[in-house]
Amino acid sequence: MTTLDLITAILSFLFTLLIFSYLIGDNPLFRIAVYIFVGVSSGYIAAIAWWQVIWPRLIQPLISAMLTGSLLEKGLIFVPLLGAVLILMKASPRLAGMSRGVMAFLVGVGAAVTIAGAVMGTLIPQVMGTINSFDLASASARNISLIEVIFNGAFVLAGTIFTLTYFHFGARAKVDGSTRRNGLIEISAWAGRIFIGITLGTVFAGVYAAALTALIERIMSLFNFLGNFL
Amino acid sequence: MRIFTAVIAIAAGILVLGGYFFPALADIQTLLLNWAIILAGMAALVGIFNLISVHTDKVRRREKGSTYSAILVIALVATFVFGLILRPDHSAMAILMSGIIIPVEAALMGLLTVSLIYAAIRLLRRRADVMSIVFLITAALLILGSATLPFGNIPLLGTLVRPWITQVLALGGARGILIGVALGTLTTGLRVLFGADRPYGGN
Repeated sequence: MTTLDLITAILSFLFTLLIFSYLIGDNPLFRIAVYIFVGVSSGYIAAIAWWQVIWPRLIQPLISAMLTGSLLEKGLIFVPLLGAVLILMKASPRLAGMSRGVMAFLVGVGAAVTIAGAVMGTLIPQVMGTINSFDLASASARNISLIEVIFNGAFVLAGTIFTLTYFHFGARAKVDGSTRRNGLIEISAWAGRIFIGITLGTVFAGVYAAALTALIERIMSLFNFLGNFL
Repeated sequence: MRIFTAVIAIAAGILVLGGYFFPALADIQTLLLNWAIILAGMAALVGIFNLISVHTDKVRRREKGSTYSAILVIALVATFVFGLILRPDHSAMAILMSGIIIPVEAALMGLLTVSLIYAAIRLLRRRADVMSIVFLITAALLILGSATLPFGNIPLLGTLVRPWITQVLALGGARGILIGVALGTLTTGLRVLFGADRPYGGN
């Protein structure tokens, strides 16, 4: 074991114990570990932001544009530099208003990327996936019977539609002033609740399995560390 | 100023969105995305500076828990300075990652085993409706179906019930939720691009 490995193992052992001390209740040792964790993580993220974003994308191109670049290159690098300076103004409450234009740019670009991601990354693939649940040719190639494909595909389609109707909150006002959804939608929404319950239960079981794996791994690491010295 | 910010948001959004559909706009899209990445990096630094300033204020005012704030600021500044001098891929920085960040994250994840069981019991006590009961029965079936039990596996649970729940029933529900989330995201994005929503302070 090298010195670096030893330091890592000691820190890992110590911080795991400090975090597990929460099992006996909230205590100063747990809090110290969490505050150090937040500080170290934030400092690490800041260093990464500097070396992997600001330095290669802003500072280096700025230096090379200033030394050998054309007027267009200088102009193109000047815009994000100005934006970076303006966004720094957000640190001061009095000057924060100056960064509004930069924030508008970020929100606009973010909205466009989100729209593209939602359409091309979720909507189209999920709709295609639901359609492909009934792909008989693909199923026969995998030796899956026709009845099984239709049966499972029908449940997937029903689950998708019922879940979507659960989130449909459109309702018409009645003569007595009350509002109620259409009867068919009300029944579909009720079935949607069952499917949502099953889905969230599945997610819960997955998260629980992952948490249990992490717990076992940490307990084993504590025993392994102690085993090195016993 | 309000119109100016809205014009910036709408123009940037339309040019970036156009780049996905019209190859002629791809270069402008790349340029704007590069600028957005730089500005997001600067925004992250500003956010971290704000964290330092909030906790430094707590220490200065000697508020309750200011010792923890002092620990946080020292850890943050030391990590950032070392990261700037040594770079994040240095072996000393790897110690911070493997000795503090990963073990703490894994241990906190491990604590979730207790919190999740507690939350499930509370759910059953406080809200015993159809969705809660279906939720807990599904979770119990899946955990029992995937766990190695001391008295052996329960017949059909791991081989038939668990795959059918996860690959058919939960898949349908997850598709509905994902499509719903995507439709909501699409609507929100379009409202920003049309200028109906101005979360950057344009009212």
